[in-house]
Amino acid sequence: MTTRRDFLKTSALGAGAAALTPALGPLFAAAANRNTPRRFVFIRKSNGIRPHEIALPSFSTQEKALDDKKEPLQVDLHQHELPGWLSGLDRHKSQMTILQGLSTKMSENGHWSYSSVMGAYKSGRNSLSGIKRATIDFELARLFPSPFGHVELSLTGNYSSFRSGIVAGYSAPAPHQRNYCYADPQTAYDELFKSVTNPGAVDSDNAMLKFLQNEEAFKSAVLTGPEKLKLSNHVKSIESIRERNRKVGKMSGAIAKHLPEIDAVHADGGANASTPEKQAAFTEILIAALMTGLTNVVTYTIDELSTPIRGVPGNEGDQISIHELGHNGGYSGVPAEKIREKLRVGHIDQVTRIVERLKAEPEGNGTMFDNTMLLYFPENGEGHHSWGTEAPFVIMAGDNCKLDIAGRYIRLPYHATPGHKTLGNWYTTLLNAHGNPVKHYGDLDLEMSRKKLDQMGAIDQFLG
Amino acid sequence: MRQTRGLSAWFVTGCSVLCLAVYGLTANAADGPPFAIPPEAQRVLRTYCFSCHEKGAAEGRVRLDQLQRLTLKPRLDLLNKVQQQLLDRLMPPLEADPAPQAARNLLADWVAAELDKHHASWLKDKRRQPAFGNYVDHEQLFSGEHKHLKAFTYDRRWLISEYIFDARFNRLLNHKPYQTIDGKRRFVIGDNNRRVNLTNPFLLPTHTGVRYYANTTLNGGHLLTMITNAKEAATYMVYLTKRDQRYAPAIQDIMGREWEHERILASRESFLNRFIVRVLRDLYQDQHQALLPKFVPVVVQPTVSTSGKPIKKSPFHAAQPGSAELVLIFHSMRRHEQDGDTDEQLIAKCEREWFNFGHNPRTIHRRVVFLQNYMPEWRDVIVRHRYARKHKRPIYRPPNTAEMKTITGAILRHRKNGDRYNDIISKCMAEWKSGFTRERKAAGPPSTALVSELVQQLFVKVYERPPTTEESQQYTSLTRSYIEGLGNLQAIEKLIQTLMLRSEFMYRQEFGQGTMDVHGRRKLAPRDASYAIAYALTDSSPDQQLVEAAQQGRLSTRADYKREVLRLLQNREQYYVIDEAVQRIQLTASITNTPIRKLRFFREFFGYPKLLPVFKDNKRFGGNYDRAKGRLVGEADRLVDHILQKDRNVFEELLTTENFYVYHSGDNRAMAAAAERIRKIYEHFKDLDWRDFVAEDLAEHKDFIAEVRMRGMGRNPQSDLRTFKTVMTSFTSRFDKGQTAAAPFDSFPAHGKSNADTRTGLQLRSPEVAKFFNIRLDNWNYPTTQPARVAHRKGMLTHPAWLIAHAQNTKTDPVRRGKWVREKLLAGTVPDLPITVDAVIPENHHQTLRTRLVGVTEQQECWKCHVRMNPLGYTFEMYDDFGRFRAEESLEHPDNLVKKGPDKAAPHVDLRDTYKTLPVNAKGHLSGTGDKNLDGDVENAIDLIERLAKSRRVRQSIIRYTFRYFMGRNEMLSDSQTLIDAEQAYVNSGGSFDAVILSLLTSDSFMYRKPIENAL
Repeated sequence: MTTRRDFLKTSALGAGAAALTPALGPLFAAAANRNTPRRFVFIRKSNGIRPHEIALPSFSTQEKALDDKKEPLQVDLHQHELPGWLSGLDRHKSQMTILQGLSTKMSENGHWSYSSVMGAYKSGRNSLSGIKRATIDFELARLFPSPFGHVELSLTGNYSSFRSGIVAGYSAPAPHQRNYCYADPQTAYDELFKSVTNPGAVDSDNAMLKFLQNEEAFKSAVLTGPEKLKLSNHVKSIESIRERNRKVGKMSGAIAKHLPEIDAVHADGGANASTPEKQAAFTEILIAALMTGLTNVVTYTIDELSTPIRGVPGNEGDQISIHELGHNGGYSGVPAEKIREKLRVGHIDQVTRIVERLKAEPEGNGTMFDNTMLLYFPENGEGHHSWGTEAPFVIMAGDNCKLDIAGRYIRLPYHATPGHKTLGNWYTTLLNAHGNPVKHYGDLDLEMSRKKLDQMGAIDQFLG
Repeated sequence: MRQTRGLSAWFVTGCSVLCLAVYGLTANAADGPPFAIPPEAQRVLRTYCFSCHEKGAAEGRVRLDQLQRLTLKPRLDLLNKVQQQLLDRLMPPLEADPAPQAARNLLADWVAAELDKHHASWLKDKRRQPAFGNYVDHEQLFSGEHKHLKAFTYDRRWLISEYIFDARFNRLLNHKPYQTIDGKRRFVIGDNNRRVNLTNPFLLPTHTGVRYYANTTLNGGHLLTMITNAKEAATYMVYLTKRDQRYAPAIQDIMGREWEHERILASRESFLNRFIVRVLRDLYQDQHQALLPKFVPVVVQPTVSTSGKPIKKSPFHAAQPGSAELVLIFHSMRRHEQDGDTDEQLIAKCEREWFNFGHNPRTIHRRVVFLQNYMPEWRDVIVRHRYARKHKRPIYRPPNTAEMKTITGAILRHRKNGDRYNDIISKCMAEWKSGFTRERKAAGPPSTALVSELVQQLFVKVYERPPTTEESQQYTSLTRSYIEGLGNLQAIEKLIQTLMLRSEFMYRQEFGQGTMDVHGRRKLAPRDASYAIAYALTDSSPDQQLVEAAQQGRLSTRADYKREVLRLLQNREQYYVIDEAVQRIQLTASITNTPIRKLRFFREFFGYPKLLPVFKDNKRFGGNYDRAKGRLVGEADRLVDHILQKDRNVFEELLTTENFYVYHSGDNRAMAAAAERIRKIYEHFKDLDWRDFVAEDLAEHKDFIAEVRMRGMGRNPQSDLRTFKTVMTSFTSRFDKGQTAAAPFDSFPAHGKSNADTRTGLQLRSPEVAKFFNIRLDNWNYPTTQPARVAHRKGMLTHPAWLIAHAQNTKTDPVRRGKWVREKLLAGTVPDLPITVDAVIPENHHQTLRTRLVGVTEQQECWKCHVRMNPLGYTFEMYDDFGRFRAEESLEHPDNLVKKGPDKAAPHVDLRDTYKTLPVNAKGHLSGTGDKNLDGDVENAIDLIERLAKSRRVRQSIIRYTFRYFMGRNEMLSDSQTLIDAEQAYVNSGGSFDAVILSLLTSDSFMYRKPIENAL
């Protein structure tokens, strides 16, 4: 059995791991769970999810009353209709959970949460020093190591144009460390599948590393004591990266098999690609990254307030600002509420595609989806200017999911009332269920603390 | 009186290994040299240890009388634990028959020697770690008995810090940020908002004390991040050369032909993009129209409300397609606008132009929809933003004849019927590109001499030194192999990446050079010395004077060091960002012209910036804590800076000043003017019936309002009236109790004009900072000249920033506060928390925190360590976890609620709930100063601090930390002379911190190096 203390030695939560940085941590860390890998997909959306938007339209009067009053409630999804924008997932209700009532007040709310919603801390806007711990996705990635460890995709922009290339991400591999992410599908494609698409570049990287390794090894040979350790660590670090490259090289068969097709519109950053096209391309890359085994954890910012929205069905000609949608600004006669819904429909199309593609891929006695959990959630809480009292999650989890939540609409007790659960409780649940016995992940809710309400640990009822 | 039996319990918790040891008896030959305890050590053991640790009295199940019978491993384990206990001064227990120092030393020396025999000391490595600095005996360091030992530092590589990382890349990437400070534009170091996205992997640990030590080694995380950084930086460095060939002329020489080709291609493409219609008309005359593609308009659905009710239309700024697109649309409109045309006709003409050009249909669609939905707003923007003036119509200027002939020739070869303009341009460009590629291929790779020159220049760029002959040959060869495989551009980038991934880029080098003295020491190599001095005081590479001094042999004597250190210490021309995180919060100005590492020492020593990641309940604060905390740290920085700038009795001032900055920019004149301005407004209206003013009444004062530039006025009469009354209500609350001056905070949040500015010209925000100091914003006789006296405060340890940083989220933390005083001011040690202890203070909402803490820490097994912390930390209970002074402790629990406070109100209103209270007990006890006049019971933190400030031990303790900060290592006994000199320098200079720094940076400890030894 792994004790909490044993575990902390290998976890990013342990102080010793603080120096591990973007995407590499999981590679170098020991695995706590060496069974079939579990996969996690975090899909962050902006502009909140308003709790009523995700409430079930077929609630009985009594259920609706409870839901409206934010009182605890649990119903079987099979007995109910899903909200229209979720209907793409109708045939996957058995693996679906709608989780209402989690609060995120310990992370940032308002317009943006930056990295904080993934780490359950206040990030001091987007300051580096505000990053208090490794985010939940990195913690999970550490449990299920893979060559890339963790992949972050992000569809963001500056309101009028999309970002492209490799840019700062929202996840954090360690305290005060910001991950990088792929900002456009072509860059993600080029970087992730380089061993197949551009072996020459990989060879030149390897040649460089080999040269450096020899040079540093030569220098370290004449040293002793701690000074030798400094250079021999350098040599070992180079060797570790070469080893990863070798592993990825050996995976070229699997990579070639699952290599996604990326449309030419995405070349050079894809300035002319529509938002749905970019999302679809990212989805293909995300699926391929999982199927090839390059990573077991993907975090995908599907949109952010500054992401330009172009090409939405019914508003094809509009340049839409998500921020303005939050202020109820309509476009071409279509009200903001409708456009917001269309955006969510677009998101769920991507979720559905991921679920169905993974369900179609055999693994062990089942499919890849059996070992996958996908979380779709608002990065900033329950609205455009969120307070963080609620943050609805849609969870799609395969049959081997370690949580007892499937097929249900669950509303937890409201914020700062007895029995209420926070984002920290939810992430603790994920970690505990998958082999990290951390007592509590994330900061505590200050109002719960003031009211002396218990808020530590996992959500026991979900652990089954 | 504490019981000695508690100590044995410590052994139970702290020495579980030992319990096994007593059962692993009987040594054998494989255990190495025979083990024997010298008679003197045996005597000490018998006298002071066996009474508790022998057969029949094995406290903690530990027996020391069996040592000789233990096998090697359990014996070494036991000796290691004994060593730790001796160093922690936990054994022999003070409460038992106290062992004289000589006996302790004798036992400690023997144990150390025995462990060294087997290279088995657990402490060997630990002693190099920051947390173990105080384990070197304080009395021995300052007694003078070790003055004869010659000080030195081992030759070493020192991993760069997060700050050096930024400075290195800022230098390489020509990132030179400026800020307006006190009205002048100044170059600022430490503003790292680079154009290139880099991740800093060299972040320092976040503990208080000294964070940057030379012990850290590079690991895989560092390296992987650096691979990505190196790629980004290399690309940008090549771009910089392209922009200005002086950046790296060899890159220009290698890439020159390719870049010239690119320039020509770009010029042709730009010309055609602007004038292709004209060129085609000239070339094809009447046939031009016939060759155009068949126009297919975009289909735009009419705007129809889909909700059946009025829909809020998004404003222009939220629907416009971006500035570049707007300019393009503007030019198209200008080309096609004709009198009498309707908007629809104009849009259709523009659309046709874009179609002919071959713009993406989606882009055209968006432009058309935009023009259809926002034409009036767009025309208004065109006028207001003076588009006609800013974006003049391009004038047709054809290139020279030969170039024009090339262009027209290609067009004539490639234009087909129905081609759009960008099809024609693409085909021409492809032809030219291919021709240029052939030309470059024919020219062959760059010469070896040129590649060698490239290596030379990049070494200088990256390492600020030329390569050695060997390096030059090696890297020239490597680069040629890169060129062969990757081509010129990628090869250059790969070379840059390679250089950035070498240990030399990521480690500072500090090695001795020249003749070894009789003590086996050599002086720091001049070049390394120039870096060591520069990095001691700044984060940047040596400046020109230092470089020249090193090159010209003027950096080898103590006088040389002194000259350069003094020069840097006295420089006030360079500004630094103190903390980017502070700067980011509420626009707080975080700047200084004190050499940054000097100020940073005290930031790290006191550790008050650690409050930044501490988030607290606004309700418990009674206002907006999140907004105020950045200002609180910024003003703590300002206070430290103020004391450093005066440089008199620095330690004592830092510990005992009663004057603080509270909601102040640091510019006394500006703050006086700001306060006077609001007073003027108040005086102007106070005797009028302003509460009943209507818009017309206010209008009568419009000249005055314009003169004093009242915030938020000038929109419309009703809005102005509301704003005016809000302002006057707020101003009145600040003056109606007879105040002579009022804090110039804003009465309502808004952009634009503010009642006071920061030194960087931004709004002075977050007046709630005053609440940390128990100051009511509506009853504050505002001191415009600061720092100014604040009641119940004495020095940095009573600054709310320090108090919050050393508190928990919802309660104070006497243990942490006491530990800080013990370790940082008294050079004391506190053993690690035993792993079996779950340090939790039980909840009981009928007791104060102190009472609850006493219950769990003053038990026998805990008190041995807590006695070193709690009696010091209790004294700070006179402040709550927000650093507010208190005489009563609020028992915050729903059961104790007396009155609920408002949830929302103006900044001056206290939002806190009121709970039942109990009196605070802030009495404590000071021990460890070594001065019987100072040690003893203390009334509270103020009393404690007054005594600490008088303690020589405290002064020496701060000097020890200063030593570690500037040397990057713990002190050794051989540094005794250095420390004594530093203390003397402080005393003789009237408490100058500069004198301490100068003394340290001209000491043997800094200047002399020894080769690394195997024994380390």
